[in-house]
Amino acid sequence: MKKLISKIFGTQQSGIIMVILLLGVVLTIFSGSHPDRATGAQVNNFLNQYTLMQTATDASFFAIMAIGATIVIISGGIDLSVGSIYAFAGVISAMVLRAMGPMDSVPTLLTALTLCVGIGLACGLANGLMIVGLRVHPFIITLGTMWIFRGIAFVASKAESILIPDCLTGFTKATFGLGTLYPVPMLIMIASTVIGAIYLSKTVMGRHVYAIGGNADASRYSGLKVGRITTGVYVVSGLTAGIAAFVGTTYYGSASCADATGYELYVIASAVVGGTSLSGGKGSAISAMFGAVLIILIRQSIRTLHLDQNYEWIIIGLAIIIAVVLDQINARLTSRRLLKSVAEKQNIETIKSK
Amino acid sequence: MIEFRGISKRFPGVQALKDVSLHISRGTCHALMGENGAGKSTLGKILAGIYSADDGEIFIDGKKVGFSSPRDARLAGIGMVYQELSFCENLSVAENLALGETPRMGPFVLYQIMHDKAVAALEAIGCKMDVWAKVSELPVGQQQLVQIAGAVAGGAKIIIFDEPTSSLSQVEAARLMDMIRSLKANGVTCIYVSHRLEEIFEICDDVTVLRDGQYIGTRPVKEVSRDALIQMMVGRPFSEFFPEQKHSSVSKEVLKVENLSSPGKFDSVSFSVRAGEILGMAGLVGSGRTEISEAIFGLDKLATGDVCVEGRKINIRKPSDAMGHGIGLIPEDRKRHGLVLGMSSMENISMAVLRRLSKWGWISSSEEKQMSQKYFDRLRVKAPTLETTAISLSGGNQQKLVIAKWIAANCRILLVDEPTRGVDVGAKTEIYNLIDRLADEGCAVLLISSELPELLNLSDRILVMRNGRINGEFKRDEADQEKILRLMTGTRYLK
Repeated sequence: MKKLISKIFGTQQSGIIMVILLLGVVLTIFSGSHPDRATGAQVNNFLNQYTLMQTATDASFFAIMAIGATIVIISGGIDLSVGSIYAFAGVISAMVLRAMGPMDSVPTLLTALTLCVGIGLACGLANGLMIVGLRVHPFIITLGTMWIFRGIAFVASKAESILIPDCLTGFTKATFGLGTLYPVPMLIMIASTVIGAIYLSKTVMGRHVYAIGGNADASRYSGLKVGRITTGVYVVSGLTAGIAAFVGTTYYGSASCADATGYELYVIASAVVGGTSLSGGKGSAISAMFGAVLIILIRQSIRTLHLDQNYEWIIIGLAIIIAVVLDQINARLTSRRLLKSVAEKQNIETIKSK
Repeated sequence: MIEFRGISKRFPGVQALKDVSLHISRGTCHALMGENGAGKSTLGKILAGIYSADDGEIFIDGKKVGFSSPRDARLAGIGMVYQELSFCENLSVAENLALGETPRMGPFVLYQIMHDKAVAALEAIGCKMDVWAKVSELPVGQQQLVQIAGAVAGGAKIIIFDEPTSSLSQVEAARLMDMIRSLKANGVTCIYVSHRLEEIFEICDDVTVLRDGQYIGTRPVKEVSRDALIQMMVGRPFSEFFPEQKHSSVSKEVLKVENLSSPGKFDSVSFSVRAGEILGMAGLVGSGRTEISEAIFGLDKLATGDVCVEGRKINIRKPSDAMGHGIGLIPEDRKRHGLVLGMSSMENISMAVLRRLSKWGWISSSEEKQMSQKYFDRLRVKAPTLETTAISLSGGNQQKLVIAKWIAANCRILLVDEPTRGVDVGAKTEIYNLIDRLADEGCAVLLISSELPELLNLSDRILVMRNGRINGEFKRDEADQEKILRLMTGTRYLK
């Protein structure tokens, strides 16, 4: 048991999980309660299945993209275009589906998924090829494509909102007999996180991402194909934006060129709150997901605690800064502890050898 | 007289200095020696006010002093010439010299006064240069002169030199030695922190040896031998510095380079290395040695000429092509090019061979661990575990990781560039033995080094580079320091 506890607290994510739990407890205590319409029993305003599921659903749309953003940031880059890729993929898929007319649910689903993922991959590939081929800082390239992709969506859709076939909404809002709970977005978020975590920790590509983020020169001198790896991370980021677009537009039932405006910043914030270092070489997919959950939870708490909604941005801004500062302090303490234990071990060894 | 009494200093996790006491006489050049991590630089930095001691006192001419900042120390007449040159490289010489006390009228800088002061400071040490030149455009040797000028102009009576020759060419180093001699003649006390024996024997009067943060002893340089000093530094008898090598197994030609050229770097260079042979390459910094190794390794897109491996001409466009032909490069600057400092020892060792340890892009953790552990043990890397990050290792152990990476890659041809730079004496011997053993096992080694004893003792043949061309070649038994130096510098006479 002790081992299990120390294992949980020893992980990279322990800090952020603690903060989320703490915030959850605070919200539970201060949110008050209301009588359930069906049973008449008192239900906590925060700690009930609907609110919790809604929080997870809200988080999922950009948590999925935060996985991609984390991988980009670990490689030492940045991707500002994910919100626009989301809108672009959503709008084009909706338009193609409208043009194709009514189909069975399975072909509709496959078409939508293929289009969203395909457009996401293509946009990511465009970003990656330009960054590597033109040798321009990723901030600049993705700042440009952020406007370009959204602009294409704007022109193509003539700024109108396009409805999505009902069967797609039926898929994303599948309840699995849970009444009015919709767990699909959350499940896709968790699946993406797990795949992202495995990609980063178990695959050659993932290791190479850490390597080029830690030291691109040394990676090149070790024979790594830095250009290819760099392109790859933007493709992955585009892919996550495509998946998020599929989940988001089908959940809401319509797509418009103004979808996901400003999401790129939420996405980067999630990665950073999750402890990813903007200088590259450090970060985790699981932390990024928790980062997204934390940000949504802070937004949620403003509603739950009946705080003035106008302060939302100020509170989120402060929370991001505080989270990163705390993370840095924690990292410094850990490395100090590590150094100490290393020195002690060496001392013991020298004593032994004497 | 400078006296340290019972100085102790602890860094997070490391006892850098333990109760160190010593005297330094006025007007002498006093060497502080020791392996990397012995605490010699720390002691210098405490005197210069960069660190403050946890315990102990410093007396200068019988008066107790305690500096809490480099500024305090400078006002008390102590200057420091840093190992890593500390300049704002984007600014000019004059601006750097005036940094901290820029002549001004209100918010405006008085450039004329700044110019005159800088010229005067440089003239005081017998130097002339364009003071409006950007520091980044000056060669390292000149940058160092600017530092010295700054210290002397600030009224420094004590100057601490922290590994000053580590980034200098031999000629620049010789000039620095002259400078230190003339400073001493003018009554300046020099404290010379280094682990290079040659320099200490050349210019120092006394030498103090530190080991693991402890004071070992002080000796007049005239009364101490090389071996005795090395023994004091490493704490064990030093029977053999270099491996006793005879590469009897030298066989067929493995690497052949013909008419290799790169504009502005080197010109029509041809040579060959056989299996089991160590080919040394001497030359000044900037003579094109590093650039040749980088070109062979596919890091120079502009290079022209032929590279043949085992008789077949190969086309190398990028490092992975070179690796495909069994070529490995241990780069000069291991922190920039050799290691990902934030990654673990294991991840650094396995970096170049990850594909081999994986299936369908999936890393086999057990194989990775097993393989890394093998080389970790074989090279005797001194780190608690495979998980220890590269950044927390000493220079010697970091270098071992880089070597392990290439041994793991089964290289037949190893390009080794300055393998012992910033490596302490103990680890140096181990690295020499390693390189020697690799050659014995049939590896063809190109050894680039600025340390002539290293080349003379390890190589079977030595090429001498000058201004991007091969200026001569020696067999091992024909070569000596003077002959090589002559070809390196192109001078007939050397004092």
